[in-house]
Amino acid sequence: MAYEITLLTTMAISVLFALSLNFITGFCGQISLGHAAFLGTGAYTGAMLAKAGVPFLLTLPAAAAMAATLGVLVGLASLRVRHDFLAITTMGVGFLFLGLVRQQDFLGGELGIAGIPATGLGKIGFMALCIALAAAFVAFSLYVRRTWMGYVFESIADNEDVSRVLGIDVARYKLAAFIIGTAVAGVSGALYAHHFRFIGPDSFGFVESISVLAMVIVGGIGSVWGVAAAAAVLSVLPLWFQVIDDYKLLLYSALLFGMMRFAPDGVAGLLRNLLRRRKAVTP
Amino acid sequence: MLYLELFIQGIVQGSIYALIALGLTLVYGLLRILHVAHAALFTLGGYLGVIVTNATGSLAFAVVVAMVVVGLAGMGLYKLAYEPLLDRPPYIALIASIGLFIASEEIFRLIFGPYGLSYAEAPLQGQFELFAGFFLKHGEALAIVLSVVLLSGLAWLSTRTRTGIAWRATVSDPEMAEAFGVDIQKVRYLNFFIGSALAAAAGVLVALLNNLVEPTMGSVPSYKALAIIVLGGLGSIRGTLLAAMALGVIEAFGTIYLGHLLDRDAIAFAFLILVLMLRPQGLLGKAS
Amino acid sequence: MSAVLEVRDITVRFGGVTAVEGVSLKVESGALVGFIGPNGAGKTTLMRAITGTVTPQNGQVHLSGREITAWPVHRRIRAGLALAQQIVQPLKAMTLAENVALAAGARKTRNPLKALLQTNRMPELARARELLALVGIGDAAEARPGTLPLGYLKRLEVARALALRPKLLLLDEPLAGLNQSEAQALADLIRKLADAGQTILLIEHNLREVLRICPTIYVQDNGRPLAFGAAQEVMADPKVRQAYLGGQA
Repeated sequence: MAYEITLLTTMAISVLFALSLNFITGFCGQISLGHAAFLGTGAYTGAMLAKAGVPFLLTLPAAAAMAATLGVLVGLASLRVRHDFLAITTMGVGFLFLGLVRQQDFLGGELGIAGIPATGLGKIGFMALCIALAAAFVAFSLYVRRTWMGYVFESIADNEDVSRVLGIDVARYKLAAFIIGTAVAGVSGALYAHHFRFIGPDSFGFVESISVLAMVIVGGIGSVWGVAAAAAVLSVLPLWFQVIDDYKLLLYSALLFGMMRFAPDGVAGLLRNLLRRRKAVTP
Repeated sequence: MLYLELFIQGIVQGSIYALIALGLTLVYGLLRILHVAHAALFTLGGYLGVIVTNATGSLAFAVVVAMVVVGLAGMGLYKLAYEPLLDRPPYIALIASIGLFIASEEIFRLIFGPYGLSYAEAPLQGQFELFAGFFLKHGEALAIVLSVVLLSGLAWLSTRTRTGIAWRATVSDPEMAEAFGVDIQKVRYLNFFIGSALAAAAGVLVALLNNLVEPTMGSVPSYKALAIIVLGGLGSIRGTLLAAMALGVIEAFGTIYLGHLLDRDAIAFAFLILVLMLRPQGLLGKAS
Repeated sequence: MSAVLEVRDITVRFGGVTAVEGVSLKVESGALVGFIGPNGAGKTTLMRAITGTVTPQNGQVHLSGREITAWPVHRRIRAGLALAQQIVQPLKAMTLAENVALAAGARKTRNPLKALLQTNRMPELARARELLALVGIGDAAEARPGTLPLGYLKRLEVARALALRPKLLLLDEPLAGLNQSEAQALADLIRKLADAGQTILLIEHNLREVLRICPTIYVQDNGRPLAFGAAQEVMADPKVRQAYLGGQA
C-alpha cells in the first residue's frame, strides 16, 4: 500500500507541474525551456521555510509567490524576445538559476538540502492533498479554456501581431500566463520537496525542464487531459519497470523526437485525428 | 600580466567555441532551425579523435578522419531529422533536435560507458613559454592555430569559390538562388558537412586539452553555442565569431571575479540574458 | 473639429532613409479618403505611423481630438482605430466567426482578470455572423481560413475591423491580389460602408477603383504630400500626373 501511495503522490505532483507548463506554453504559446527553475524555486522556498519551522500548509503560498516573482521577470523577458530567442532565454534562466543556487552555501550548495520535515498530514493525507491540488488545476485549466482569457490566449499563441490589432494588450496577458503558470509550478515544487524530503540542484536542471516539456508535447500541447495523462504515465514509467530506469532518458528523448517527427500534436492530436477519420467513414 | 594570461586563455576557449558555434550559425542561417543536436556531432568527433589516435598513433590522421566522418554524419542527420520537418513551425525542429541530442548522449553512455575514454599517450601535452612566466600548452596553441586555419579556409571557400558563392546566395535569398540554378539540396548538404566537420575538430581539440572524452562533454558546449549564436545575432557569421571570442574572454575573467556568485557556465547565460534585454536582436543581428 | 484623424507634420526615418517627411493629413467624420501614390511613396510607412507599429521622429497623430502619437497599437485600437491589413492574417485555428467574434468582444478582453470571469461567447458570435453576412461571406462563417480563397480572407479582415465599431477604418490595399470583378465587388462594399456613415482611409494601388468610389483623394510621393482634395481636381493636377507617369510634365 505504501508503494502505491508514493506512486500516486509522485504522479499527482508531476501532473500539476506539467499542467503549469501547459498553461504557459500550451495555452499562451510562450515556449519555455527552463520551467524546472520554477519547480526549483518553489522547492527551495518550501524546504527552507519548513526547516525554519513554518507549518507546511503556509509554505505553499510562499513557494507560489517566490516562483511567481521569478515568473514575472521571465514574463517581462518574453515581452522583449520571441520564439527562438525566447526559447534560448528561458533555457538561460534555467541555467542561471542552477548556477546561482549551486554557489550559495545557505541553500546547501552542491549538496542541496536534506532532512526536510514531514508535513504532519501523514502519507495518505499528503497524497490526498496532492491529488486534490492536481485535480483543482485540471478544473481551472479547463475553465480558463472556456473563458475569454482562454480565447485571447489562443489568439496570442496563433499570432501576436494580429492580437494587438484586435485591441488586445498582449503584454498583460503574457504576464498573466507566466504568473499563473509559474506560481503553480512553485506549489508543485514545494510539494516535491516535502515528498522526497531531500532536494539538490541536480533535480532542477535542463534535463528536468526537457522532461516536463516532453510530457506537454507527448500529451498534446494545449490539451489539458492529454498533458495530465502523459505526465501521470511518464512520471512513473521508470518506477514501474525498474529495468527502464537506466534507459529512461533515452526513452524520453526518443519519444520526444518521435513525436515531433511523426505526431507533433501529441497523443491528444492522434486521438482527435482518429475520431475525425471514424466520423468521416461512418455513413 | 594576469590580465594578458586571462585574455589568452579566453582566446583559446573562444577559438574552440567559434568552431562549435559556427556550425550552428550556418544551419540557422540556412534553415532557421536551432540545431541543438550539433553538440552530438562535437562529441562524436571527440570520441573518433581518441579512438583513431589510439589505434594509429597519429593525431593528424585522427583529426582528418573525425572531420570527414562527422561531416558525413551531419549530412545524414539533416536528411533523416530536419528535412521532413522543414515546413512545420520551427519549435518542432528545435524540440526534435533536443530529443536527438539527449538520445545521443545516452547512446554514447551506453556504448562507451559513463566514465569516458582517454588517449593512450596524450599528444601535445608539453608546453612552451610564450612570454615571461606565461606558459602555453602545445595543445592550446594548436587550438588557436587550427581555428585560424579552418576559419580562413571557410572564408576563402565562401568568397573565392563558385560553391561558396552559391552557398552565400542561398542563405540570403533561397528563391532567388534557385532561380539562378543553384542546387539548394547540395548547398544544404554542404552546409551541414562543413558545420559538422568544424564541430568535430573542436571535439578533437577539447578531448586533447582535457585528455578525456565522455558522453556528456557536449552538454555545456551545446548550450553555450546556442547562447553564442543568439548573442551574435542569429545567422550572422561575423556576429558568431565575435560573440564566441567575447564569451571566451568574459568567462576567463568572470570565473575569477564572479566565481563566488555564479558558476562558470551560468556566466555565459547571464551575459546572454543581459545582452538580449538591451538588444533583443543580439550583438550584430538585424532589428526586426 | 469633426476630423476623426489628424496627422500633423509626421516625419519617419529608417537608418539613413527618410521614408515620410512633413506629412499632414485630415480625415473628416464620415469621409471616404483614397490614399494613393506611386511605389516607394511611403504609404505603408505613414499607415504604420498611424497604427503605431512605427514611431515617427517628428509630428503627431490625433484620433478624434486625442493625441495618440506615443500610444501602443492596442491602445489606439481601443481608442477607435481599426485596421484591415494588406497581408491577410486570419487566426488559423479558429473559424471565421470566431475570428470576428474575438474582435466583437473587445470590451471583454480589456484586461485578463475581466476576461477570466467571462465565458459567454454567444452574443459576439451572433454579431460576427451578422458582420460576415454584411461583407458577403456569411456562407463561410463556420469554416476555417485555411482553405478559403484570398477574396474571402480580405473580406474577413474588413469584418474583423468592423467588429471593433471603429471611429476610423484603415484599409491597407484591400484590393491587392484580387481579380477585376472581385476588386470591383469589394470596392462597392467599401463604398456602401462609407455611405452608411463609416469614416474610412483607404490605401490603394488600384487607381481605377479608387477613382470610382472615393470622393476625396490624398496623394503622396517620395514621402511627401503631393495633393489633397476632390478626386477629379487631384487627378487633373499636373504634379500628380507627373508623379505617376514620370518624365517631363
